[in-house]
Amino acid sequence: MYDEPSGNKEDDMRNITIGMAIAAAALSVLTYGRGGMPLVLTGLKAGGLMLAEITPLLAAAFLLAGLIQVMVSREFIERWLGRGAGVKALLLGAFAGALVPGGPYISYPIAASFFIGGAEIGTVMAFIAAKNVWTVTRLPMEMALVGVRITALRYVVTFLIPVIVGLLANFILSGSVERVREQVRALAGGGRP
Amino acid sequence: MIPAFVLLAGFALALLIVAVRRGDGSAQKAIRFGTGMMVKVIPLLLLAFVLAGMLQSALPPRVIREWLGQRAGLRGVLIGGACGALIPAGPYVAFPIISGVYKAGAGISTVIAFVTGWAMMGVGKIPFELAFMGTRFTLLRILLFLAFPFLAGWAASLVF
Repeated sequence: MYDEPSGNKEDDMRNITIGMAIAAAALSVLTYGRGGMPLVLTGLKAGGLMLAEITPLLAAAFLLAGLIQVMVSREFIERWLGRGAGVKALLLGAFAGALVPGGPYISYPIAASFFIGGAEIGTVMAFIAAKNVWTVTRLPMEMALVGVRITALRYVVTFLIPVIVGLLANFILSGSVERVREQVRALAGGGRP
Repeated sequence: MIPAFVLLAGFALALLIVAVRRGDGSAQKAIRFGTGMMVKVIPLLLLAFVLAGMLQSALPPRVIREWLGQRAGLRGVLIGGACGALIPAGPYVAFPIISGVYKAGAGISTVIAFVTGWAMMGVGKIPFELAFMGTRFTLLRILLFLAFPFLAGWAASLVF
């Protein structure tokens, strides 16, 4: 069903790590230039606090990602979220995206487990777009801080986005899906247990 | 944070109970897969958090607010969408900035481009996306999403 990973997945992993390390170093230098060592320490502290705060969430997210991998069979994911399911798969993916709580460290492991399990790329894009613009868990905060009227208008004008990006992705990217999927699988540690 | 944890842990617990009751090692397999994924991405995740923290101190809210200032119209939509993408933090930081920008006199379409730019293109999420989805997916996703914050702001400007 899937192409065998073609060798360079360790390279991918290493390149991403190196790229992020370079970005972190560059930003640290920029931060140092703006406010010296104290500001760098503030940045490190902000990162550390974020990490400490979300550690329990992370543990739950990884457990959930693992459970989705094992409990939800590939046949199920392919049938409901895969190529054959058409627009229904997009809507289902978007619906899941709207409901998933927490930050990107939660939604991306889940997106990865759908994708590895055989979901179509448009479904995964719709999931992410819906997490971004449909999300229900952020709604009360947005209404409270930005205002009810603007939030309502924002939901209206962004309502179709998850479906549009999903359709676009399926239409444009279908040729390169397996290469993309291969990389996601390599990052997750080689795929299904 | 706490409602999110309750929700996630609830989902996980429900699935875990089903897995354990299957009695065929599904639960152990799931835990092994979850911890495997975690161990694999921990170095990347630590980097992602350093990156996110540095972004926060390199691009403080004040800078973005000053940059955006009083903007309206299509120019406001373009600048709003771009500034939104540059907010490197979660909703607790982003929404107060956005509300500050609105109170400073930005138009509604600018504010909507801003919120959508932050939500869809926010730089703070990219380190996590790279860690889990890899470079290919991330690049394709960015290209695919790029126009939408501006389109959303433009659509809002038609309404108002």
